[in-house]
Amino acid sequence: MAVAVEVARPHHTLWGDAFIRLRRNRLAVAGTVIILVIALGALLVPFISPYDFAKQNYDAISLGPSWAHPLGTDELGRDVFARLLYGARTSLAVGIFTQAIVLVIGLPIGAFSASVGGRVDNLVMRFVDVMYAFPDILLIILLRAIFGGSIFMIFLAIGLVAWVDVSRLVRGQILSLKQRDFVTAARAMGATGRYVTLRHLLPNSMGPIIVAVTFGVPRAIFAEAALSYIGIGVKPPTPSWGTMISDGYNQIFAAPHLVAFPALAIGILMLAFTFLGDGLRDALDPRLRR
Amino acid sequence: MLKFTVRRVLWLLLVLFAVAFITFSLMHLVPGGPWDREKELAPQIVENLNRKYGLDKPFFLQFGHYLWSAARGDLGVSYSYQDRGVTQILLEGLPKTATLGLAAFLLAIFIGIPLGMAAALRQNTPVDYVSVFFSMVFASIPGFVLGILLMILLSVVLHLLPTGGWGSIKQVIMPAFALAALPAAYMARITRAGMLDVMRQDYIRTARSKGLAERIVLVRHILRNALIPVMTVAGPQLAYLITGSFIIESIFSIPGIGRLFVQGVFARDYGLIMGTILFYAAAVAVFNLVVDILYAVVDPRIRYD
Amino acid sequence: MNRRLVYTLAILSLLLLVFTSCKPAATPTPTVTPTATPTPTPTVPQVLRANLAGEPATIDPNRASWAGERTPIMQVFEGLFGFNQDLSLRPIGAAEIPTVANGGISADGKVYTFKLNPKVTWSDGKKVTAKDYEYSIKRMLSPDLAAEYASFYFDIVGAEAYNGAADKDAATKAQLRDALGVKAVDDLTLRVTLAQARPTFLSIIALWPSYPVREDIITKYGDKWTEPPNYIGNGPFLLTEWVHQDHMTFKVNPNYWGTKPKLTEIQLKMVTDVNAELAGYKNNELEISRVPTGTEKATLADPVLSKEIVRYNELVTFAFQFNVAKPPFDNLKLRQALACAVDRVSFVDKVRAGVGTPALSWVPPGMPGHDPNLGKEYGFNVTKAKQLLGEAGYADVSKLPELKFQYADTAGNRLMAQFLQGQLKDNLGINLTLEPMEPKAFSQAVNAEQHTWAWFGWGADYPDPDNWLPELFGTDAGNNHTNYSNPAFDALARQAKSELDNTKRLQMWADAQEMVMADAPIVTMFYRERFVLVKPTVKGLKTTGMDGQVSGDMFFTDVYLVK
Repeated sequence: MAVAVEVARPHHTLWGDAFIRLRRNRLAVAGTVIILVIALGALLVPFISPYDFAKQNYDAISLGPSWAHPLGTDELGRDVFARLLYGARTSLAVGIFTQAIVLVIGLPIGAFSASVGGRVDNLVMRFVDVMYAFPDILLIILLRAIFGGSIFMIFLAIGLVAWVDVSRLVRGQILSLKQRDFVTAARAMGATGRYVTLRHLLPNSMGPIIVAVTFGVPRAIFAEAALSYIGIGVKPPTPSWGTMISDGYNQIFAAPHLVAFPALAIGILMLAFTFLGDGLRDALDPRLRR
Repeated sequence: MLKFTVRRVLWLLLVLFAVAFITFSLMHLVPGGPWDREKELAPQIVENLNRKYGLDKPFFLQFGHYLWSAARGDLGVSYSYQDRGVTQILLEGLPKTATLGLAAFLLAIFIGIPLGMAAALRQNTPVDYVSVFFSMVFASIPGFVLGILLMILLSVVLHLLPTGGWGSIKQVIMPAFALAALPAAYMARITRAGMLDVMRQDYIRTARSKGLAERIVLVRHILRNALIPVMTVAGPQLAYLITGSFIIESIFSIPGIGRLFVQGVFARDYGLIMGTILFYAAAVAVFNLVVDILYAVVDPRIRYD
Repeated sequence: MNRRLVYTLAILSLLLLVFTSCKPAATPTPTVTPTATPTPTPTVPQVLRANLAGEPATIDPNRASWAGERTPIMQVFEGLFGFNQDLSLRPIGAAEIPTVANGGISADGKVYTFKLNPKVTWSDGKKVTAKDYEYSIKRMLSPDLAAEYASFYFDIVGAEAYNGAADKDAATKAQLRDALGVKAVDDLTLRVTLAQARPTFLSIIALWPSYPVREDIITKYGDKWTEPPNYIGNGPFLLTEWVHQDHMTFKVNPNYWGTKPKLTEIQLKMVTDVNAELAGYKNNELEISRVPTGTEKATLADPVLSKEIVRYNELVTFAFQFNVAKPPFDNLKLRQALACAVDRVSFVDKVRAGVGTPALSWVPPGMPGHDPNLGKEYGFNVTKAKQLLGEAGYADVSKLPELKFQYADTAGNRLMAQFLQGQLKDNLGINLTLEPMEPKAFSQAVNAEQHTWAWFGWGADYPDPDNWLPELFGTDAGNNHTNYSNPAFDALARQAKSELDNTKRLQMWADAQEMVMADAPIVTMFYRERFVLVKPTVKGLKTTGMDGQVSGDMFFTDVYLVK
């Protein structure tokens, strides 16, 4: 029976199948929709909010939420809603691109290290040990002095050291998986190392990696805030969620809304990525294929 | 395994050397030195200071001198805390930071892993959603905000706990929780993901179909293998926690070593920068080594040679 | 599924409620410590708890430099002179203030003879002698000690040469040291000879770097002499405990020669986070607390806290300094136009909730040399700003090259920089690019004059224009980073620095300040005001414009606590 079904089914690649399954996962779709809504809001701020994110109003300093300013105003009387939407441009980009860099560097390094093993694995992992303790903040201050600040430097600066966690996760997973029977079986059937890694090892180890990446999103958003203070992030008055929280922190006793709303936004964004991530993981799982 | 461990300890020295060299170079390359003040010091005073601290020597001589003293346990002087050596500063602060870090680590483990297990075993039920919700909350509130919120609630409103300092168990509670929040959330999610990955494997189905008791399947098969990613993140996490967090130690006025690296960077306090980063590098490398050994313990099929 | 999402969002909004309900909500009435009431004695524990905001780099008076270091030092040590609350001098270690009339100052103003107060003792009971002062000043000037404030004392004969002799051999150093113009004539007479007259020298020698220190103690304990119980001083308090990075405890010095303090104990904590400090204050762990920037308005509106506010002006001016060597800021009219385009009053009154004083000139109020009428013509005036911009050749602002503003990124600076940016945009249509920098990198850039237009602040070391003008606007002055150079100013400053007639001297500085303001190398912004909370139980707190880290730290001897 199983054979008959296989034949009747049109042939899909692993990743193509995954996409189809992803579309059927309602939580994943919800996550995607939230991300798209945030992105759309960020692009369309001028049409959504009557206020300019940079316009200061000294008669409305640090006001709480009201009809005129649904999310209140900040320490220079600027509309928090407009700033939150506009800030999503930076924060969304930072969240997505840094994690893309993390995946692009971390996945292959970890997978390679574990698949080859032995002396190569040791060398690569000692390099990872060094990178764990790499004084990135010093490098960033230096880069700022040489190249000046720009948003691309942020992606680079955060991505440069954040991949180590992912690489060690992938490696740990593959070290354990590669001795499993199904991998040995695949090898025995003549599958190449690359094929085994892509088709069997990676898909089976995606769960924790997706978690690491989703947790990397808020981490990157906060890191961007820290970096913008040494002049490498977005320049004021351009907002980002991280800088909004850090700036608001000074007034947490007087105007807690300045911290609450951006933190909420980061929470929602992270939730969306988690839904999407979980859906993606399920979709990639070969055994759940229907 | 012994041979493996010995070899790795030797590698540790190489890792430390690399970190030391990178850090030493970067901190000297970075614009701004320890004596650049808003009120500029007279050039003659700067010369005296450079001379006093050996900063007038060529780079490699300074580096060699640093390595030589560090090898003998002397991590040099701090310009921010001039009357105590870096070794002394680290030794005085370490017990406090490590106690706090260990408390937070245990909290993270004992909250995170059971929460993650429960979520995985009851996937897509309210248990799972509650676990997701708390993980998201703790991951998206930055440490300093969580810290001050705890303080407002427990100290300012309820007057239950002191706002900071060190010395009594009461002073450990808030910082330990604030420190544990993010790792606990992370552990919970990693545990859940790791378990779900394993639970779907064919051999688990085989084990179940063989009629093995559910508990045995859970402990012997699922948990063991699901622990691999948990251990992977726990190692560096422990290293991070016992070397302290800048934010939590600043907010709760913990006289530990967590504040020193960032402080050192912003003061260009070369001694503090080097001391703290070498310490952290050693901790990460050692805990990664422990993790690698534990891999082989948990999953005997993993070998390194 | 939709229901699930709604459910999740509902929980998230609950979280939001938790957040917003954390407002300073009804600060608990101070009835929270019922444990104190049943004690039979009506006496209130005389313990003052304040926040030093961090571990001091050193509390060695000779080497100390920052506000956080001065506070503990001022409790344990006293110098020849101290400052009154109005910042005039009063003799402490000295028997009287030397003048030409009482023979303390030579007619040419170069030789100072200090008669010491014979009653002053160290905390271990020994007498303070002129030898202790001589040792202290010589030690402070030593190139090997590398004291940061040594340059303040370069007027003393041989001081600069000795301090610059780092690379010389020991014999030469000893020779230079002996040649210094500092000599203990006898146990109670100290003579200091200056290379040239310096009428502000009395203020300088009243500062902490020249407080007396003990040679025997320092020789015996080396770097460890600053740890209690080695830390022997001559002031009203004793350092009895120093838990590093955590707190310092001071108790009354039993051998203090003067009026004993009313406090029995001072605790200085080292809380670095200002929100945590305020939380500690609200939890009755501190008697004095700073208020986080931006929280002042809410504090003024708070029914309880508003009664505990203590505010006073500091000798600190904030400004924006141009690099006049770099186009387009070499254009005087442009600089003046920018000065006219900034609404300082709105900044102080609205953005800063009235904390601070709008500044139109450089020398702050509360010290000699402040001129309230100076700089008015370049106050906020958009019409004039536009007119000046036209005269500068930029009637069409699009012709203006990109203007950049650098600052060290701290919360306060960020606020000010964005305000400036908003002002130029709104009032002149100029787009200002902000360049935040890491603080050390910023200091280095400014010290190397790589900036174009930069944040600038100055606080008084001693209350005299002599500390505010030549050091910053003299052509070769160490802290002149505007590249401002005016030969007339230089000549006048040189003269004023050693003018012995005080009235004449102050007039010269007034003229000098006028020259600077007319040339507009800086845009002055505001004078800083301290805004702190003090528990109503604290009485007798005396604040000055030159307080260290903790408000009132110059007069803790007068403080006492009531119920």
